[in-house]
Amino acid sequence: MFALRGIAVSLTFFVVLYCLLSALVAIAWRGLKLLRATQQGVAALLFGLRILPLAASVAVTFAFVVPSFQLLEPRSTDIDEGMGAIPLALGICALVMIVWGCFRVIAAQTKTARVVARWLEGAHPLNVEAVVPKALQAAAQRVTFCSRREAPPLTLVGVSKPRVLISESTVALLSHDELRIALEHEFAHMKSRDNLKKLVFRFCPFPGMAKLESAWSQAAELAADDAAVSSLYDAVDLAAALVKLSRLVPIEAAPVCTVGFVTGSISARVARLLAWNENRKIQLRRKRSWYLIPAGFVALSCICVTYGQALVLTHEVTEWLVR
Amino acid sequence: MTKVFSIFGSSSRPQLGPFEQQVLQELWSQGSATVRELLADGRIHQAYTTVMTTVDRLYKKGLLDRISEGKAFRYTPRFTPEELQRDTAMESIRQLLGSGDASSLPLSYLVEALSSHDAQLLDELQYLVERKRRELHSRNNHIRQKSAKQKEQH
Repeated sequence: MFALRGIAVSLTFFVVLYCLLSALVAIAWRGLKLLRATQQGVAALLFGLRILPLAASVAVTFAFVVPSFQLLEPRSTDIDEGMGAIPLALGICALVMIVWGCFRVIAAQTKTARVVARWLEGAHPLNVEAVVPKALQAAAQRVTFCSRREAPPLTLVGVSKPRVLISESTVALLSHDELRIALEHEFAHMKSRDNLKKLVFRFCPFPGMAKLESAWSQAAELAADDAAVSSLYDAVDLAAALVKLSRLVPIEAAPVCTVGFVTGSISARVARLLAWNENRKIQLRRKRSWYLIPAGFVALSCICVTYGQALVLTHEVTEWLVR
Repeated sequence: MTKVFSIFGSSSRPQLGPFEQQVLQELWSQGSATVRELLADGRIHQAYTTVMTTVDRLYKKGLLDRISEGKAFRYTPRFTPEELQRDTAMESIRQLLGSGDASSLPLSYLVEALSSHDAQLLDELQYLVERKRRELHSRNNHIRQKSAKQKEQH
Protein backbone atom coordinates (compact mmCIF):
# COMPACT_ATOMS: atom_id res chain seq x y z
CA MET A 1 0.00 0.00 0.00
CA PHE A 2 2.87 2.35 0.90
CA ALA A 3 4.56 1.79 -2.45
CA LEU A 4 1.29 2.22 -4.36
CA ARG A 5 0.54 5.44 -2.51
CA GLY A 6 4.07 6.64 -3.27
CA ILE A 7 3.61 5.95 -6.97
CA ALA A 8 0.21 7.66 -7.01
CA VAL A 9 1.54 10.75 -5.18
CA SER A 10 4.58 10.96 -7.46
CA LEU A 11 2.44 10.65 -10.58
CA THR A 12 0.02 13.26 -9.24
CA PHE A 13 2.83 15.71 -8.61
CA PHE A 14 4.28 14.93 -12.04
CA VAL A 15 1.04 15.51 -13.95
CA VAL A 16 0.14 18.70 -12.07
CA LEU A 17 3.61 20.19 -12.58
CA TYR A 18 3.70 19.07 -16.22
CA CYS A 19 0.33 20.68 -17.02
CA LEU A 20 1.17 23.90 -15.19
CA LEU A 21 4.58 24.27 -16.86
CA SER A 22 3.16 23.33 -20.29
CA ALA A 23 0.42 25.94 -19.99
CA LEU A 24 2.97 28.52 -18.86
CA VAL A 25 5.33 27.74 -21.76
CA ALA A 26 2.47 27.69 -24.31
CA ILE A 27 1.45 31.19 -23.20
CA ALA A 28 4.82 32.80 -22.44
CA TRP A 29 7.12 31.66 -25.27
CA ARG A 30 5.81 34.26 -27.72
CA GLY A 31 7.13 37.04 -25.51
CA LEU A 32 10.71 35.98 -26.22
CA LYS A 33 12.87 38.58 -27.91
CA LEU A 34 15.89 36.95 -29.52
CA LEU A 35 17.07 39.62 -31.90
CA ARG A 36 20.81 39.03 -31.45
CA ALA A 37 20.81 35.25 -31.08
CA THR A 38 21.99 32.86 -33.80
CA GLN A 39 19.38 30.64 -35.42
CA GLN A 40 21.14 27.69 -33.81
CA GLY A 41 20.63 29.39 -30.45
CA VAL A 42 17.00 30.16 -31.22
CA ALA A 43 16.34 26.56 -32.28
CA ALA A 44 18.05 25.24 -29.14
CA LEU A 45 16.10 27.61 -26.92
CA LEU A 46 12.75 26.77 -28.53
CA PHE A 47 13.50 23.05 -28.24
CA GLY A 48 14.51 23.58 -24.61
CA LEU A 49 11.28 25.44 -23.91
CA ARG A 50 9.21 22.76 -25.64
CA ILE A 51 10.66 19.94 -23.55
CA LEU A 52 11.06 22.00 -20.38
CA PRO A 53 7.70 20.90 -18.88
CA LEU A 54 8.49 17.22 -19.37
CA ALA A 55 12.14 17.45 -18.33
CA ALA A 56 11.43 19.64 -15.29
CA SER A 57 8.49 17.48 -14.16
CA VAL A 58 10.52 14.27 -14.44
CA ALA A 59 13.54 15.85 -12.71
CA VAL A 60 11.51 17.33 -9.82
CA THR A 61 9.54 14.10 -9.38
CA PHE A 62 12.62 11.88 -9.20
CA ALA A 63 14.89 14.34 -7.38
CA PHE A 64 12.42 15.63 -4.78
CA VAL A 65 9.00 13.96 -4.70
CA VAL A 66 10.10 10.32 -4.61
CA PRO A 67 12.89 10.83 -1.99
CA SER A 68 10.69 13.10 0.16
CA PHE A 69 7.97 10.45 0.19
CA GLN A 70 10.47 7.69 0.95
CA LEU A 71 12.15 9.59 3.78
CA LEU A 72 9.39 11.68 5.34
CA GLU A 73 6.18 9.72 4.90
CA PRO A 74 5.41 7.62 8.01
CA ARG A 75 5.51 3.89 7.18
CA SER A 76 3.72 2.79 10.30
CA THR A 77 0.81 0.50 9.57
CA ASP A 78 -1.11 2.16 12.43
CA ILE A 79 -1.53 5.28 10.36
CA ASP A 80 -3.45 4.25 7.29
CA GLU A 81 -3.97 7.37 5.24
CA GLY A 82 -5.52 5.50 2.33
CA MET A 83 -4.95 6.27 -1.32
CA GLY A 84 -7.26 9.27 -1.73
CA ALA A 85 -9.48 10.01 -4.72
CA ILE A 86 -7.43 12.91 -6.12
CA PRO A 87 -4.05 11.12 -6.26
CA LEU A 88 -5.76 8.07 -7.70
CA ALA A 89 -7.51 10.04 -10.47
CA LEU A 90 -4.49 12.20 -11.30
CA GLY A 91 -2.20 9.16 -11.13
CA ILE A 92 -4.38 7.40 -13.69
CA CYS A 93 -4.34 10.58 -15.80
CA ALA A 94 -0.53 10.61 -15.70
CA LEU A 95 -0.37 6.94 -16.65
CA VAL A 96 -2.78 7.48 -19.55
CA MET A 97 -0.69 10.46 -20.68
CA ILE A 98 2.53 8.41 -20.59
CA VAL A 99 0.93 5.46 -22.42
CA TRP A 100 -0.58 7.83 -24.99
CA GLY A 101 2.82 9.47 -25.51
CA CYS A 102 4.48 6.05 -25.99
CA PHE A 103 1.75 5.04 -28.42
CA ARG A 104 2.25 8.22 -30.47
CA VAL A 105 6.01 7.62 -30.62
CA ILE A 106 5.63 3.98 -31.67
CA ALA A 107 2.95 4.87 -34.24
CA ALA A 108 5.15 7.62 -35.72
CA GLN A 109 8.14 5.29 -35.89
CA THR A 110 6.12 2.49 -37.48
CA LYS A 111 4.54 4.77 -40.07
CA THR A 112 7.90 6.33 -40.94
CA ALA A 113 9.53 2.90 -41.26
CA ARG A 114 6.71 1.72 -43.56
CA VAL A 115 6.87 4.78 -45.82
CA VAL A 116 10.68 4.82 -45.95
CA ALA A 117 10.75 1.09 -46.79
CA ARG A 118 8.53 1.85 -49.78
CA TRP A 119 10.76 4.74 -50.87
CA LEU A 120 13.82 2.52 -50.55
CA GLU A 121 12.61 -0.18 -52.93
CA GLY A 122 15.33 -0.42 -55.57
CA ALA A 123 17.50 2.18 -53.81
CA HIS A 124 21.28 2.01 -53.64
CA PRO A 125 24.07 3.97 -51.88
CA LEU A 126 25.06 7.04 -53.84
CA ASN A 127 28.70 7.77 -54.58
CA VAL A 128 28.88 11.29 -53.21
CA GLU A 129 32.60 11.30 -52.47
CA ALA A 130 33.19 13.62 -55.40
CA VAL A 131 30.46 15.98 -54.23
CA VAL A 132 30.94 16.20 -50.48
CA PRO A 133 34.10 17.71 -48.91
CA LYS A 134 36.50 15.43 -47.01
CA ALA A 135 35.30 16.64 -43.61
CA LEU A 136 31.87 15.20 -44.35
CA GLN A 137 32.97 11.92 -45.95
CA ALA A 138 31.86 9.88 -42.91
CA ALA A 139 28.39 11.38 -43.06
CA ALA A 140 28.31 10.92 -46.83
CA GLN A 141 28.27 7.15 -46.33
CA ARG A 142 24.72 7.61 -45.14
CA VAL A 143 23.40 9.03 -48.41
CA THR A 144 21.08 6.74 -50.32
CA PHE A 145 19.82 7.20 -53.80
CA CYS A 146 16.13 6.56 -54.41
CA SER A 147 14.65 6.05 -57.80
CA ARG A 148 11.02 5.70 -56.70
CA ARG A 149 8.75 8.43 -58.07
CA GLU A 150 6.96 9.07 -54.77
CA ALA A 151 10.21 9.57 -52.84
CA PRO A 152 10.82 13.18 -51.74
CA PRO A 153 13.58 15.13 -53.53
CA LEU A 154 15.96 15.29 -50.57
CA THR A 155 15.19 14.27 -47.03
CA LEU A 156 16.72 13.01 -43.81
CA VAL A 157 15.05 9.89 -42.40
CA GLY A 158 15.48 7.80 -39.26
CA VAL A 159 16.25 8.48 -35.63
CA SER A 160 18.90 6.07 -34.35
CA LYS A 161 20.65 5.58 -37.70
CA PRO A 162 19.64 8.61 -39.74
CA ARG A 163 20.37 8.71 -43.45
CA VAL A 164 19.79 11.10 -46.30
CA LEU A 165 17.59 10.02 -49.17
CA ILE A 166 18.11 11.73 -52.48
CA SER A 167 15.94 11.27 -55.55
CA GLU A 168 16.88 10.76 -59.19
CA SER A 169 15.35 14.10 -60.19
CA THR A 170 17.33 15.96 -57.52
CA VAL A 171 20.63 14.65 -58.84
CA ALA A 172 19.56 15.54 -62.38
CA LEU A 173 18.26 19.00 -61.48
CA LEU A 174 20.99 20.39 -59.21
CA SER A 175 24.46 21.49 -60.21
CA HIS A 176 27.52 20.02 -58.45
CA ASP A 177 27.79 22.94 -55.99
CA GLU A 178 24.06 23.09 -55.34
CA LEU A 179 23.96 19.37 -54.58
CA ARG A 180 26.93 19.65 -52.23
CA ILE A 181 25.44 22.51 -50.24
CA ALA A 182 21.99 20.89 -50.12
CA LEU A 183 23.57 17.70 -48.72
CA GLU A 184 25.48 19.74 -46.16
CA HIS A 185 22.17 21.26 -45.08
CA GLU A 186 20.76 17.77 -44.47
CA PHE A 187 23.95 16.71 -42.67
CA ALA A 188 23.46 19.70 -40.36
CA HIS A 189 20.01 18.35 -39.48
CA MET A 190 21.58 14.93 -38.93
CA LYS A 191 24.23 16.42 -36.61
CA SER A 192 21.64 18.27 -34.53
CA ARG A 193 19.45 15.13 -34.31
CA ASP A 194 16.31 16.94 -35.44
CA ASN A 195 14.38 13.73 -36.12
CA LEU A 196 14.93 12.60 -32.53
CA LYS A 197 13.72 16.00 -31.31
CA LYS A 198 10.55 15.63 -33.38
CA LEU A 199 9.96 12.26 -31.79
CA VAL A 200 10.37 13.77 -28.32
CA PHE A 201 7.66 16.30 -29.24
CA ARG A 202 5.38 13.39 -30.14
CA PHE A 203 5.89 11.94 -26.69
CA CYS A 204 4.74 15.02 -24.80
CA PRO A 205 1.73 16.53 -26.57
CA PHE A 206 -0.06 19.48 -25.02
CA PRO A 207 -2.69 21.85 -26.43
CA GLY A 208 -1.25 25.13 -27.69
CA MET A 209 2.26 23.75 -28.35
CA ALA A 210 1.82 23.37 -32.13
CA LYS A 211 2.91 26.95 -32.83
CA LEU A 212 6.01 26.56 -30.66
CA GLU A 213 6.88 23.36 -32.57
CA SER A 214 6.33 25.13 -35.86
CA ALA A 215 8.59 28.02 -34.74
CA TRP A 216 11.25 25.48 -33.71
CA SER A 217 10.94 23.76 -37.10
CA GLN A 218 11.51 27.04 -38.94
CA ALA A 219 14.44 27.94 -36.65
CA ALA A 220 15.94 24.46 -37.18
CA GLU A 221 15.77 24.97 -40.96
CA LEU A 222 17.47 28.36 -40.70
CA ALA A 223 20.07 26.89 -38.32
CA ALA A 224 20.80 24.10 -40.83
CA ASP A 225 21.12 26.73 -43.58
CA ASP A 226 23.58 28.66 -41.40
CA ALA A 227 25.57 25.52 -40.59
CA ALA A 228 25.82 24.54 -44.26
CA VAL A 229 26.72 27.94 -45.69
CA SER A 230 30.17 29.42 -45.24
CA SER A 231 30.29 32.01 -48.04
CA LEU A 232 27.99 34.12 -50.16
CA TYR A 233 28.53 31.69 -53.07
CA ASP A 234 27.33 28.82 -50.88
CA ALA A 235 24.32 30.90 -49.84
CA VAL A 236 23.32 31.58 -53.45
CA ASP A 237 23.82 27.91 -54.37
CA LEU A 238 21.64 26.83 -51.45
CA ALA A 239 18.96 29.36 -52.41
CA ALA A 240 19.06 28.09 -56.01
CA ALA A 241 18.76 24.47 -54.83
CA LEU A 242 15.85 25.42 -52.61
CA VAL A 243 13.95 27.10 -55.44
CA LYS A 244 14.64 24.25 -57.86
CA LEU A 245 13.55 21.52 -55.45
CA SER A 246 10.45 23.49 -54.42
CA ARG A 247 9.12 22.87 -57.91
CA LEU A 248 9.18 19.11 -57.33
CA VAL A 249 5.82 18.52 -55.73
CA PRO A 250 5.93 15.60 -53.26
CA ILE A 251 3.48 12.82 -54.07
CA GLU A 252 2.69 12.07 -50.42
CA ALA A 253 3.04 13.87 -47.10
CA ALA A 254 6.30 13.22 -45.24
CA PRO A 255 6.02 11.11 -42.06
CA VAL A 256 7.08 12.43 -38.65
CA CYS A 257 10.65 11.14 -38.39
CA THR A 258 11.85 12.89 -41.53
CA VAL A 259 13.26 16.33 -42.23
CA GLY A 260 12.71 17.42 -45.81
CA PHE A 261 14.99 19.91 -47.53
CA VAL A 262 12.04 21.96 -48.77
CA THR A 263 10.46 22.82 -45.44
CA GLY A 264 9.33 26.03 -43.77
CA SER A 265 8.88 29.37 -45.46
CA ILE A 266 10.82 29.06 -48.74
CA SER A 267 10.63 32.75 -49.59
CA ALA A 268 11.91 33.75 -46.14
CA ARG A 269 14.77 31.27 -46.40
CA VAL A 270 15.74 32.39 -49.90
CA ALA A 271 15.56 36.08 -48.95
CA ARG A 272 17.75 35.40 -45.92
CA LEU A 273 20.29 33.44 -47.98
CA LEU A 274 20.50 36.14 -50.65
CA ALA A 275 21.15 38.75 -47.96
CA TRP A 276 23.94 36.61 -46.52
CA ASN A 277 26.58 38.54 -44.65
CA GLU A 278 29.89 36.68 -44.35
CA ASN A 279 31.04 38.83 -41.40
CA ARG A 280 27.92 37.97 -39.44
CA LYS A 281 28.75 34.30 -39.20
CA ILE A 282 32.28 35.05 -37.98
CA GLN A 283 30.94 37.50 -35.37
CA LEU A 284 28.32 35.06 -34.15
CA ARG A 285 30.80 32.20 -33.92
CA ARG A 286 32.93 34.17 -31.47
CA LYS A 287 30.14 34.34 -28.93
CA ARG A 288 30.19 31.48 -26.47
CA SER A 289 27.94 31.09 -23.48
CA TRP A 290 30.76 30.42 -20.98
CA TYR A 291 28.87 32.33 -18.31
CA LEU A 292 26.35 29.46 -18.15
CA ILE A 293 28.92 27.10 -16.59
CA PRO A 294 29.48 29.07 -13.35
CA ALA A 295 25.76 29.86 -13.20
CA GLY A 296 24.96 26.15 -13.45
CA PHE A 297 27.59 25.34 -10.85
CA VAL A 298 26.14 27.92 -8.43
CA ALA A 299 22.59 26.60 -8.99
CA LEU A 300 23.75 23.02 -8.36
CA SER A 301 25.56 24.07 -5.16
CA CYS A 302 22.43 25.87 -3.92
CA ILE A 303 20.35 22.74 -4.55
CA CYS A 304 22.86 20.56 -2.68
CA VAL A 305 22.96 22.92 0.33
CA THR A 306 19.20 23.34 0.61
CA TYR A 307 18.26 19.79 -0.42
CA GLY A 308 17.01 18.75 3.03
CA GLN A 309 14.75 21.77 3.37
CA ALA A 310 13.55 21.29 -0.20
CA LEU A 311 12.54 17.70 0.61
CA VAL A 312 10.54 18.88 3.63
CA LEU A 313 8.84 21.56 1.55
CA THR A 314 8.09 19.09 -1.26
CA HIS A 315 6.57 16.70 1.26
CA GLU A 316 4.35 19.45 2.63
CA VAL A 317 3.25 20.36 -0.89
CA THR A 318 2.44 16.75 -1.76
CA GLU A 319 0.52 16.36 1.50
CA TRP A 320 -1.49 19.47 0.65
CA LEU A 321 -2.00 18.25 -2.90
CA VAL A 322 -3.39 14.84 -1.99
CA ARG A 323 -5.77 16.04 0.70
CA MET B 1 -8.10 45.97 -45.22
CA THR B 2 -9.58 47.72 -48.24
CA LYS B 3 -8.06 45.01 -50.42
CA VAL B 4 -9.64 42.26 -48.37
CA PHE B 5 -13.07 43.76 -48.60
CA SER B 6 -12.78 44.33 -52.33
CA ILE B 7 -11.44 40.81 -52.97
CA PHE B 8 -14.05 39.07 -50.95
CA GLY B 9 -16.85 41.42 -51.83
CA SER B 10 -19.08 38.62 -53.02
CA SER B 11 -19.21 36.79 -49.66
CA SER B 12 -22.34 36.45 -47.56
CA ARG B 13 -20.91 39.08 -45.18
CA PRO B 14 -22.44 42.39 -46.34
CA GLN B 15 -20.15 44.32 -48.63
CA LEU B 16 -18.79 47.54 -47.13
CA GLY B 17 -18.64 50.90 -48.82
CA PRO B 18 -15.56 53.16 -48.58
CA PHE B 19 -17.00 55.32 -45.79
CA GLU B 20 -18.12 52.28 -43.79
CA GLN B 21 -14.58 50.90 -44.10
CA GLN B 22 -13.15 54.24 -42.93
CA VAL B 23 -15.44 54.30 -39.88
CA LEU B 24 -14.58 50.69 -39.04
CA GLN B 25 -10.83 51.44 -39.33
CA GLU B 26 -11.33 54.43 -37.02
CA LEU B 27 -13.14 52.27 -34.47
CA TRP B 28 -10.38 49.66 -34.63
CA SER B 29 -7.79 52.34 -33.93
CA GLN B 30 -9.80 53.87 -31.06
CA GLY B 31 -11.08 50.59 -29.58
CA SER B 32 -14.54 52.00 -28.92
CA ALA B 33 -16.14 55.38 -29.52
CA THR B 34 -19.35 57.37 -29.66
CA VAL B 35 -20.27 59.25 -32.85
CA ARG B 36 -19.15 62.49 -31.23
CA GLU B 37 -15.73 60.97 -30.34
CA LEU B 38 -15.31 59.73 -33.91
CA LEU B 39 -15.91 63.23 -35.20
CA ALA B 40 -13.73 64.84 -32.53
CA ASP B 41 -10.73 62.83 -33.73
CA GLY B 42 -10.68 65.02 -36.85
CA ARG B 43 -10.05 62.27 -39.38
CA ILE B 44 -13.69 61.91 -40.39
CA HIS B 45 -15.06 64.95 -42.23
CA GLN B 46 -18.76 64.20 -42.50
CA ALA B 47 -21.93 65.47 -40.90
CA TYR B 48 -22.95 64.04 -37.50
CA THR B 49 -26.07 62.44 -38.96
CA THR B 50 -24.10 60.76 -41.78
CA VAL B 51 -21.67 59.18 -39.29
CA MET B 52 -24.57 58.16 -37.04
CA THR B 53 -26.38 56.48 -39.96
CA THR B 54 -23.17 54.70 -40.99
CA VAL B 55 -22.37 53.28 -37.54
CA ASP B 56 -25.99 52.24 -37.20
CA ARG B 57 -25.74 50.41 -40.53
CA LEU B 58 -22.52 48.70 -39.40
CA TYR B 59 -24.27 47.68 -36.17
CA LYS B 60 -27.17 46.20 -38.16
CA LYS B 61 -24.69 44.32 -40.36
CA GLY B 62 -23.41 42.65 -37.20
CA LEU B 63 -19.95 44.24 -37.28
CA LEU B 64 -20.34 46.43 -34.18
CA ASP B 65 -21.59 46.05 -30.63
CA ARG B 66 -23.11 49.00 -28.83
CA ILE B 67 -24.02 50.04 -25.29
CA SER B 68 -26.03 53.09 -24.37
CA GLU B 69 -24.08 55.92 -22.80
CA GLY B 70 -26.43 58.71 -21.74
CA LYS B 71 -28.42 59.70 -24.81
CA ALA B 72 -25.90 58.27 -27.27
CA PHE B 73 -24.44 54.83 -28.01
CA ARG B 74 -20.86 53.68 -27.58
CA TYR B 75 -19.82 51.44 -30.48
CA THR B 76 -17.20 48.67 -30.30
CA PRO B 77 -16.00 46.50 -33.22
CA ARG B 78 -17.25 42.95 -32.78
CA PHE B 79 -14.26 41.48 -34.63
CA THR B 80 -10.56 42.29 -34.86
CA PRO B 81 -9.25 43.03 -38.40
CA GLU B 82 -7.63 39.55 -38.46
CA GLU B 83 -10.83 37.81 -37.37
CA LEU B 84 -12.85 39.64 -40.00
CA GLN B 85 -10.27 38.84 -42.67
CA ARG B 86 -10.22 35.15 -41.73
CA ASP B 87 -13.98 35.01 -41.49
CA THR B 88 -14.46 36.64 -44.87
CA ALA B 89 -11.87 34.38 -46.52
CA MET B 90 -13.44 31.27 -44.98
CA GLU B 91 -16.88 32.32 -46.14
CA SER B 92 -15.64 32.97 -49.67
CA ILE B 93 -13.87 29.59 -49.83
CA ARG B 94 -16.97 27.88 -48.47
CA GLN B 95 -19.08 29.58 -51.13
CA LEU B 96 -16.59 28.60 -53.81
CA LEU B 97 -16.56 24.97 -52.71
CA GLY B 98 -20.34 24.85 -52.62
CA SER B 99 -20.83 26.59 -55.97
CA GLY B 100 -20.30 23.73 -58.43
CA ASP B 101 -22.47 20.69 -59.16
CA ALA B 102 -19.45 18.37 -58.90
CA SER B 103 -17.98 18.89 -55.44
CA SER B 104 -14.39 18.25 -56.57
CA LEU B 105 -14.47 20.86 -59.33
CA PRO B 106 -14.31 24.07 -57.21
CA LEU B 107 -11.61 22.46 -55.07
CA SER B 108 -9.58 21.86 -58.20
CA TYR B 109 -9.94 25.59 -59.08
CA LEU B 110 -8.60 26.43 -55.65
CA VAL B 111 -5.66 24.01 -55.99
CA GLU B 112 -4.97 25.39 -59.47
CA ALA B 113 -5.03 28.97 -58.19
CA LEU B 114 -2.69 28.08 -55.32
CA SER B 115 -0.35 26.14 -57.64
CA SER B 116 -0.15 29.01 -60.12
CA HIS B 117 0.49 31.41 -57.21
CA ASP B 118 3.26 29.11 -55.97
CA ALA B 119 4.77 28.83 -59.45
CA GLN B 120 4.71 32.60 -59.83
CA LEU B 121 6.39 33.03 -56.44
CA LEU B 122 9.05 30.46 -57.35
CA ASP B 123 9.66 32.24 -60.66
CA GLU B 124 10.24 35.47 -58.76
CA LEU B 125 12.59 33.75 -56.33
CA GLN B 126 14.46 32.10 -59.21
CA TYR B 127 14.88 35.52 -60.84
CA LEU B 128 16.30 36.95 -57.59
CA VAL B 129 18.74 34.05 -57.25
CA GLU B 130 19.92 34.42 -60.86
CA ARG B 131 20.34 38.17 -60.42
CA LYS B 132 22.42 37.64 -57.29
CA ARG B 133 24.51 35.06 -59.11
CA ARG B 134 25.17 37.48 -61.96
CA GLU B 135 26.13 40.17 -59.44
CA LEU B 136 28.59 37.80 -57.80
CA HIS B 137 30.11 36.78 -61.14
CA SER B 138 30.53 40.36 -62.27
CA ARG B 139 32.04 41.30 -58.91
CA ASN B 140 34.39 38.35 -59.18
CA ASN B 141 35.40 39.34 -62.70
CA HIS B 142 35.96 42.91 -61.59
CA ILE B 143 38.25 41.77 -58.75
CA ARG B 144 40.16 39.50 -61.13
CA GLN B 145 40.64 42.31 -63.64
CA LYS B 146 41.76 44.66 -60.89
CA SER B 147 44.34 42.22 -59.52
CA ALA B 148 45.57 41.47 -63.07
CA LYS B 149 46.05 45.20 -63.66
CA GLN B 150 47.92 45.55 -60.38
CA LYS B 151 50.22 42.66 -61.37
CA GLU B 152 50.90 44.29 -64.75
CA GLN B 153 51.75 47.57 -63.04
CA HIS B 154 54.18 45.81 -60.68
